[in-house]
Amino acid sequence: MRIGLRLQGTSCRALVLDGHSVVAAAAAVRCTTLAEAVDTTFEELRHELGTEITKVTDITSDAGRVLAARKPASVIAIRISPRPPADAFHVTGLPALVEPVVARTVHVGGGHDLRGRPLAPLGLEAFLAELPGILSGEVRNIAITSVGSTASKDHETRIADAILSSDSEMRISISSDFYSSVFRDRDYTAILNSALMETGEDLAAMLDASGRRHFPSATMWFAKNDGGRAPLARLAVIPIHGLRPEPAMQILGAATLAGAPDGEVVICADSGVTVGQIRGGLPATRSVIRQGYEASLASNAAVVEPYTADHPVRPAVPSVIADLRSGQDTPLPFGLVPTLAAAHDAGQVGSAVAPLTAWIDRLETVSGRADLQLVQRRAEEDAESAAVQLGASPGLTRIIESNVYAMPYGNPGIVRIRVQAAGEVSGDTIEDAAEIHVRTPFGAGEGASRWAPC
Amino acid sequence: MGALLTAEDVRHLRTGAHFLACTIDPTAIYVYAEMIEKAMENRALELISIDELAPDDLVVAIGMVTQGLFIADMPPVGDEFIGCIRAIEANLGRQVRAIYSLAAANINGIVPLMVGLQSSLPVIDSDPMGRVFPLISQTTLNIGHVPISPIALMGVTGERAVVEAHNPQRAETLVRALVTEMGGWAATAMYPCSAGQMREHGVHGSISRMIRIGEILDAETSVDRKFQQLAEFLGATRIARARVSHVEGLSRPSDLGLPALPSSVTLVDERSGQIIRLEIQNEILLVLVDGAIAAAVPDIVSLLNSEHGTVVNIDDVRVGDVIDVLKITAAAQWYSKAGLDLAEPKAFGIPIEHPRRHHA
Repeated sequence: MRIGLRLQGTSCRALVLDGHSVVAAAAAVRCTTLAEAVDTTFEELRHELGTEITKVTDITSDAGRVLAARKPASVIAIRISPRPPADAFHVTGLPALVEPVVARTVHVGGGHDLRGRPLAPLGLEAFLAELPGILSGEVRNIAITSVGSTASKDHETRIADAILSSDSEMRISISSDFYSSVFRDRDYTAILNSALMETGEDLAAMLDASGRRHFPSATMWFAKNDGGRAPLARLAVIPIHGLRPEPAMQILGAATLAGAPDGEVVICADSGVTVGQIRGGLPATRSVIRQGYEASLASNAAVVEPYTADHPVRPAVPSVIADLRSGQDTPLPFGLVPTLAAAHDAGQVGSAVAPLTAWIDRLETVSGRADLQLVQRRAEEDAESAAVQLGASPGLTRIIESNVYAMPYGNPGIVRIRVQAAGEVSGDTIEDAAEIHVRTPFGAGEGASRWAPC
Repeated sequence: MGALLTAEDVRHLRTGAHFLACTIDPTAIYVYAEMIEKAMENRALELISIDELAPDDLVVAIGMVTQGLFIADMPPVGDEFIGCIRAIEANLGRQVRAIYSLAAANINGIVPLMVGLQSSLPVIDSDPMGRVFPLISQTTLNIGHVPISPIALMGVTGERAVVEAHNPQRAETLVRALVTEMGGWAATAMYPCSAGQMREHGVHGSISRMIRIGEILDAETSVDRKFQQLAEFLGATRIARARVSHVEGLSRPSDLGLPALPSSVTLVDERSGQIIRLEIQNEILLVLVDGAIAAAVPDIVSLLNSEHGTVVNIDDVRVGDVIDVLKITAAAQWYSKAGLDLAEPKAFGIPIEHPRRHHA
């Protein structure tokens, strides 16, 4: 059995799947604190499931709304490049919401080119002179972004090591953990990730404690933006990948409920109609979350587009049209006819069934087609290994996506390899699902929320 | 007196520069547009016609040359272009009177506006490509035998070089090698020439054209209306509305002297059943429909999202996407024999002549 949790404010909502059957779906439990809400939800589930609680193997939490709502911590941004900006116009810009998070910016000389060769020696000595001033302040979060860190993370890690050797309690996020060929995207992502680490840490500790108390045999996970899941402990390190999982989880959940591992998924919600794709049992993704003309978040996330009257329909491709509106008295826009009514929260179903996912996104130097195939195969093996390291069973991993991208105006022979692997600890995957069966949901009706006696 | 550009113009220019390049990643364009808008708060940005200059005035092309790290991954410090202009002035012993864009699309379509604001030099509404090409030798000024050098380069490291080479192809080779060692891109000033030479051999109205394209694409209107307006303004034609069925990297053998690796995209027009193939190398070089040439460089090929009418980045093309493939005729100079020698598919290693060669 698997549980999908959604956390929001001081409320928690749960859904239980047994194989591909929904065996319990609770209304949102709201308490004075989120920890109480989670505890109460688990307690109610224990009561509901009785002796079957030992069958609960996995609990996956969608913590995106909590991460987004909590005040981000202040961050010191360390930017490594050959020279500092010459004027205010050339300072790396951040989205307005994140700009105030940066308490201080420190420039360090350094950076690499696309071949991984240093553009300038790392200004470590000058940085070490500045370090006591950085550590003596109240800010405990640091983001480090270096020019060319997609090709070499050496300068970022050396600065991080220098900080940690003076104060091992600092929370550090380095930009090379996030793939984007755009400096400002990595800078923004590392800063926001660092700013969310404390919240991620708190959430992980709270969920882990509650999970152990009520479901000691279950493994705790968090839902990711790409429609996959990762060990809960990682939420303290890479909270950014759990910031916006809901669109992916809705696509995955609707596809699961419809028994459609491949095709188009149209989500009709109160906020509007969007469309995404499901391929091989996971949402089609893009490596960045775009935000208009501002910096993008370098996190693999489901591609979701607004649905329009001009949407090109493919008759030969299965479509799931999920009506997830809170009220279904009026017809859907664009003349859409739902194939799936909101019997359950698709997002929570998605969280419950999300597989473990791992990515390899890196630059490689190749000398020809044969060499390219070799490095691509190696990347696929590495991605599967990464999924196994996260907890997947070696026999239950598979490659979802494996692509090679030419680098425009790049150095000859350098390509980007992007591979996604998915895996399961045990049991079924969405591809095995003919249909989701619904069995005796408990609690108040879907969409309702109530105050629990916390 | 030229026209003073507004912040709205800059936003439209951003879209127009993106559309004409159908670029891989438009972030650098966005970053520059934002920078320019901020800089314009305190300074006026003047766009002039080439006719407003005296024939002997010294003008120079401004642009980024790249091979390696993306501009967006190695943000400019801000002093690079001014350093290049000063180097050209020192080399020639004359003052530069105005600047123009090295290309009329992508990052080089917008960069000169920032340089104009920094240097207080007017920006000319002309360029030597009328689109964007990957090589600095692929210009209408080269067709007109206007010397490319001296070329001043300055990278983000602060290192600067001046290249003096009479042969534009040799200049290309030397500059590209320097750019690689400077980290991946260099700010450059090249093709210093008289306003008279630019008037005779340049492509005119480049920046105004990008702004107008942006006005069309940024408008809240239907995709069909946008296309209709592009057809009226640019003579654009829609080769196909088709669904992507295959994307392939490293799809052709390539000359290591050319920046970037080739890739290909195959699409299927689901109504007609036609197979459309795009051959790409930085830009889209060739469009084949059922094996027949529908567009070939120097024709400009751009992609629009068929549902939203927004520009599709080549990097974002995914199997299953439905896109409009548009063709726009390039500046007339490119269809002369000399123009085709420089910029038809053969110049990019594809053994195909442009169909217009038979009339060149």
